[in-house]
This record gives sequence, C-alpha cells and structure tokens, in this order.
Amino acid sequence: MSVQFLGGHRWPRWRRSLGYYISVFGLCLVLAVACGGGSEPETVASDGRVAMGTTLRARTLDPADAYEIFPGILLYNLGDRLYTYAPGTTDLVPQLATEMPTVSADGLTYTISLREGVTLHDGSAFNAEVMAFSIQRFMDNGGRPAFLLSEKIETVTATGDYELTLVLKQPFAALTALLTFWGVTPVPPDAYTIGEGQFRPEDFIGTGPYRLASFSSDVIKLDANPDYWGEVPSNDGIDIQIFSSPANLYNTFRSGGLDVAYQTLDPDQIAALEREADQGEWAVIEAGSTVVNYMSLNQKIAPFDDLNVRKAVAAMVDRNIINERAFQGQAEPLYSLIPQSFDVHAPVFESAYGDVDYEQATEFLAAAGITEANPLEFEIWYPTASTTRSVVANTLKESIETNLAGLVNVQVSTAESATLWENVEKGIYPSVLSNWYPDYFDPDNFVQPFLSCSEGSVETLCERGSTQGNGSFYYSATANDLLAQQSAELDESVRNNLFKDLQQVMVADVPYIPLWQNKDYVFAASGVGGVAVEPNQQFLLWQISK
Amino acid sequence: MTSRSNALRYYVLSRLMLAPLMIWTITTVVFLLMRATPGDPVDALLGPRAPIEAKEALRSQLGLNKPLILQYLDYLSHLLRFDLGSSIASQGQTVWQIIGDHFPATVELTLCGLAVAAVVGITVGSVAASRPNTPVDAGGRLFGILTYATPMYWFGMILQLVFAVQLRWFPIGTRFPLVQTPPDGPTVLYLVDSLLQCNGSQFGTTLYHLALPSLTLGILISGVFERMVRVNLKQTLRADYVEAARARGIPEIRIITVHALKNALIPVITILGLTFASLLGGTVLTEVTFSWPGLANRFFEAISQRDYPVVQGLMTFFGTIVALVSIIIDILNAYIDPRIRY
Repeated sequence: MSVQFLGGHRWPRWRRSLGYYISVFGLCLVLAVACGGGSEPETVASDGRVAMGTTLRARTLDPADAYEIFPGILLYNLGDRLYTYAPGTTDLVPQLATEMPTVSADGLTYTISLREGVTLHDGSAFNAEVMAFSIQRFMDNGGRPAFLLSEKIETVTATGDYELTLVLKQPFAALTALLTFWGVTPVPPDAYTIGEGQFRPEDFIGTGPYRLASFSSDVIKLDANPDYWGEVPSNDGIDIQIFSSPANLYNTFRSGGLDVAYQTLDPDQIAALEREADQGEWAVIEAGSTVVNYMSLNQKIAPFDDLNVRKAVAAMVDRNIINERAFQGQAEPLYSLIPQSFDVHAPVFESAYGDVDYEQATEFLAAAGITEANPLEFEIWYPTASTTRSVVANTLKESIETNLAGLVNVQVSTAESATLWENVEKGIYPSVLSNWYPDYFDPDNFVQPFLSCSEGSVETLCERGSTQGNGSFYYSATANDLLAQQSAELDESVRNNLFKDLQQVMVADVPYIPLWQNKDYVFAASGVGGVAVEPNQQFLLWQISK
Repeated sequence: MTSRSNALRYYVLSRLMLAPLMIWTITTVVFLLMRATPGDPVDALLGPRAPIEAKEALRSQLGLNKPLILQYLDYLSHLLRFDLGSSIASQGQTVWQIIGDHFPATVELTLCGLAVAAVVGITVGSVAASRPNTPVDAGGRLFGILTYATPMYWFGMILQLVFAVQLRWFPIGTRFPLVQTPPDGPTVLYLVDSLLQCNGSQFGTTLYHLALPSLTLGILISGVFERMVRVNLKQTLRADYVEAARARGIPEIRIITVHALKNALIPVITILGLTFASLLGGTVLTEVTFSWPGLANRFFEAISQRDYPVVQGLMTFFGTIVALVSIIIDILNAYIDPRIRY
C-alpha cells in the first residue's frame, strides 16, 4: 500500500493530472468571475409587465377570509372599496361611493351613495345590491376578518339602485376608515355565495384596476384591467414571485431577476442594498410604517402583577440601542402604542420614564422590594422564527443586566409561533415581544385591541377580551369607558382628547411597553418608477411603470 | 422449481398485504403526532388576537372540538374513500389539488437530482475504486464524507451566491421564467411536456432553472452512491473472473466499465429506487433553500400553519409512495437475485 502510494510511478502522474485539472478549473473560474455580471437573467419582464418578488404568502384571495398583509395588498389592487385614501396622503376620499357618508344624528345610520357605470371583471354591473351582498357575505361567512364588521354593523341594505344604508349596533366613529379595509370590496353574487365557510381562495372577481390572471402558492399574475372605470395602470401587469426565504429574495433581486423587491428582507440585507444603491442598479424607497412592536406584560403572574415592577421595566428599556443593534437604524423608537403617523400620538412613555432612565428604574424596583439580595428575575419570550426579536430580546437582556447588575436578571426564551400564541392567551408567559399590524388607519385600531376587556374585574383581571389575547390580561374600567366614548364620538377634537387620555392610562398602568415602529423598504431596479408605499401601508401596484 | 415459484408468489403476496398495514401505521402515527404537537391550528390561523367566539366557531367548523377518537374515525373513513381532506388554511383547496399543483415540480427536481447523484457518485466511486490505496481513492472517500456531512442549506446558499448572484450564470427561485408561459402538457413535468411538444427552447429553459437546485441535491446525495460503488467495485475487481480478464490482456478501463461495474451496480440500483422514494418527501431543505415550488415546500408551510389535513394528507401520500416503492424493490430483488431468501 505504502509502496504504491509513495512509489515513483503513480504519484507523479496523479500529481500531474490533478494539477492539470486544478489549473483548468481555476482558469475557468477566473474567466467566469471576470466576465460575470454581463448577462441579464431572463426573469425580468422585458415588456410593460413588472416582475415583483416577496416572501409574503397569500393564503387566500377571498375578500371575506383574507386577513394578512399580502392578500390585503393584492385585494387592494384587484378590487375597489367604498372609501380609500388619496395616494400619498391619509385623506379619506370616496372610491365606489360618490361622496362621504351621511350619518344620522344618533350616529347609527350611514347612508352612502354609489358610483354608477362601474362593471365587475366578469362584465356584470356594480350597484347597491352587489355591495350589500358583498358586505353581508363578509360578515356571515365566518372568515378571519368577519368580526371587524359583524361586531359593528346590524344591517346592510340596498335602499336604492345606487344607495346603500348601513345600520350600526352602536355608534362607531371610525366606520368610514374601516370601510377602506381591503375585504370590503364588491364581488358578484352570481359567482360568490353567502354561507359559513363558503370561500373561493384561489379566485377573485371584483371591480379593480387589475384582473387576476393566475394564482398559485409560488407565482401570482395580475393583468391590467382594460375596462377599469378609474385611472388605468401604468403597467401591463404584475408578475409576483413568492420566495421561501429573505435570502432567496435578496439573491434574486441582486442578480437582476426582479424589478421590485418588497417585504421581507433582513436588516443586514436592507443595509447592504442601501449601501450599494449609489451604484445605480437599484433605488431604495423608504417609508414609515404603522406596524408597532411592544412588550406585553402579564399582570396575572409575578413579577408583573406589581405595578412598580412594570414601571421599572418601562424605565430600563433602551430603545435607541435596540434600534441600533437589531435594526441598524431601520426602525423608529416608539413611546406610545399609537404610532407617530397619527396627530394624536403622544410620546407618553418618554415623558414618564425617560429614554431609558436606570435611576428611576432603581427607585421603582426599590418600591417593589427588589434588592441585590432579592433581585428581579423575569423572562422575555418571543417566537422562534423571528430573528429580529431574538436580537431585541438579547439586547434588552444585555443592556439591563449591565446597567442594573445584581438587581435584575433577564432570561430570554423562545417558542415556536403557534405554541407561543396559544400559551400567551393562557397567561403562561410573564412577558412577550409582539407586534401589531393595523386593520384600518384610525387610532381606534391601536387602543381597542390593547386595552379593551369585555369580561373581567380589577380583582380577576381580564377573563375574556382583547387584552387576554395580547397576554397582558389588563382590566381597567376607566379604559373601557374611554374606549366606548371615543368609539361613539363624532366630534374629532373631542375624540382626539379621549385618545390622549387613553395614552395616559396606558402609561400609568403599563400593561405594555411600546418599543419600536417599523420602517418599510421597497427596492426597485433602475428604470422602474412610481414605486411607493402609502401612509396606510398599502402598495399601489398600478402606479409602477417601467 | 415449482416450490421456489410458489414461495416467490407467497412472498409477493405477503409483501403486498403488508402495504396497507404500513400505510395505516404511518397515517395513525402522523395523526397522533399532529395532535400531540403543541400549537393550536385555530390560533395559527386566526392569530392570537381574534375574538374567542370566532375561534370557537372555526374550531367547530373544522371538527376540532370533537373527541380525538371521533376525529380519528372521521379521518380514516375519508381516507378509505381516498379523500385526503381540504386545507384549513386556505379554506377550500383540497389536498389532491395541492398534490396536483406541486408534485410535478418535486418529481422533476428529484429525478434531476438523482441523475446528478448517480452520474457523480458512480463516476467518483469508479475512479476511486480503480486506484485503490492511492490519493485518488482517499479523495473519493473524502468526497463521500464531505457530501454526506455538508448541510444542504449552506451548500445551496453558496451555490446561489457564486453562480446566481456573483456570476449570474443561473437563475434562482423559480421553475420557469416569470414572464414566459411554461410548457403546457399532460404530465406537468416541464421537461417531459416540452419534449412532447418538441420545444427545445422550453426544454433548455426548464433545465436551466433546474440546474442549481438539482446540482445541490445531486452532489449532496452522490456520496451515498460513491461509497457503495467504491466498496462494491473494489470487491468485484478482486474476483476471479476479473483476474482472468486481466490475464487475457483486456485493458483495465474495459474490465472496469464493461465487466466489473455492471455487477457492482446491482445494490446501487436498489438504493437508487429507495433514495428516489425517500427524496420525494425529503427535498424540503432544497426546495426551501431555492424557493422551489414543490410539494415539500408546501408541506413545510403546512406544518408551520398547523394545517392538519394537508400535513396528514401529504404524509400519507409520501408514506404510500415510499411503502410501495420499497415493496416493489423487494419483489424485484427477490425475482432477480436468487440469493435472497423468502
């Protein structure tokens, strides 16, 4: 064996041939790298169609069941709603309605006049019957977002060919904003049915600027609707590729395989694309977002059953260090659960607890009986799949334990998403890092889900209601009263004051600690224009041109 | 002869009768595992903040509020009618539709990956075996260990970065260009359909898009074939008939390719069949790494959504294929190889 291996016959020949192959391979590699980048991948649309990539999933396109961001974006572009926002603003304007609704004095009846001459994608005419059917179906079919309307609307009736009347169960000031929700869009009664669980997940017929050309879990194609009643799209269609990971999306966009990359890239990938944007191959479009991220504190169990401990943790959170380390500056520190996009936003946590104030935190800890002999120990939980929340949790742990050494010990824990949310609702975790994607653009949607509790008491805390789902189990009669008042109040200035009071309630009781507000990023290849994210987080595909 | 023929018939019959038992075991284990796994599908579907009434309504609609035994009996009775159920996430799409939409992509990737694995594995294994106890042999062994130990995700990403992002030689993330119409044919296997339509351009495009994922899959599983070929070929090359061939002055390359390799490949073919069957469900990492629109990718998604019917249905489907393929291979081996006892 050793003779053959080390002997004089095979060894030099082997060496020669191996050397030959390595040289040829190396030469090829060098040539390939040197010549690389010249060829354009063929996936980019060469005509007026736009190739877009995303990692977001479209579970369904049925407007009565779609409750996630991406189906929402698709439906927003495939359908129309009674009201919408003027592009680039937060101004509510009529879309399929002809004017803003007429509201009865008691705030319960909304009369809406509708646009004439609109046709659906199947050629049928749009009228009040179609709209009433679509709203009724939205409420009755038991889809995910059904509760948004079914909890508010008593009846929906076509009171004329082009007049719709909604009667509410109780006054709800944000109804017009709620009617901009993507699912409140007309569908033809001939093609859709009303009935529990009667959905068409892979199909859509509506009135919007695009028609659905094809739908699958990996590719979705939209064609411009030539018969659209409104502004015709600036492109011939959108071809959407769904990727299974941010890395695939990033690599494909960088290799020139996409015109537009939208959601969701990791902070490192966003930073890399931003750094290299000045080479002219792509443009970065940055927009504010209404997605709020927070820490939920469970008041049912120790240590957050103690108000002083909750206040202490609120004072020891360093939002700037989170933004720097976890997001590389791609987020905004948040000091209220009502995001900065609203005029009523007040940075109440900054005013009350400072922008991290360890001295104040120590005082609250002392009031709670926390000493070095009896340190505070608590767990922060987050979903396993969230890499950013992992960094946030560990950043919090490191900054708190460094600055309050001996006084506070933080344990970072993780659970798979479905398990985590099941346990949050059961009240198993003391604190959880969570986020909130709003359903509609109104401050109501940033207070109701966090503070309302339909069953409970100060003693038992929340036993049934939104705060249970959020894992805080917060119960406050004052908060419930203020929520009911703002919901019914039609006078905007009075309502704004109520939102300010609600933010004060939040800062006084600390059921949650607001942490950061996301920024939204879109990347557009050179030669692609009209790419923008709207203030209400919608992505208007019909504005994209190339 | 007659007794052997009867024994063989009995063996085939017994193997076939075992198939339903195997499939039933698989389906039952999957059903129980899904229920034992923490995480409620209703929570996963509706999200943590949905009203409790809505959650209860959906639970009732999906039959998840029934006792476990009733859920199991429901599931079995549907299964006996070949009804694999419908996705609870998309609320309407049947599992058979999902299989129809995604299985061809998986089959195509698996076949191409297997072809790459066979070519690479057999070539490296043969070369290594033909030069025993040399650096080439050592290189073959190293190749086998490295391909076995390299993580699929890492290797796939490296290939993407080098060949797609840096060199821009190959596309990623799609089975066919977004802006082109894919081959339309009866098999939904783009390679086959484009050949049936005699469309060389579509065939080339499909192959071009298959390149990176199938290279990743193929290279990483080629180690199994390499080791098997190397060991078997080494043994065969020591056989008397090979020595006789050498004595007759037949060139070494001819001895290896014409005489020895054939015999050394018999166990490889068995492994090839089993690998194909297990790869159909085992391409999850490759499909996820390359955003390949196959059934394994869809399966991964269904698990994260706790989509019970889809996970159960796909597991049953994959399990049935593996069970049937292994039975077919057992039977074929029994026919071909007289050394097998039954």
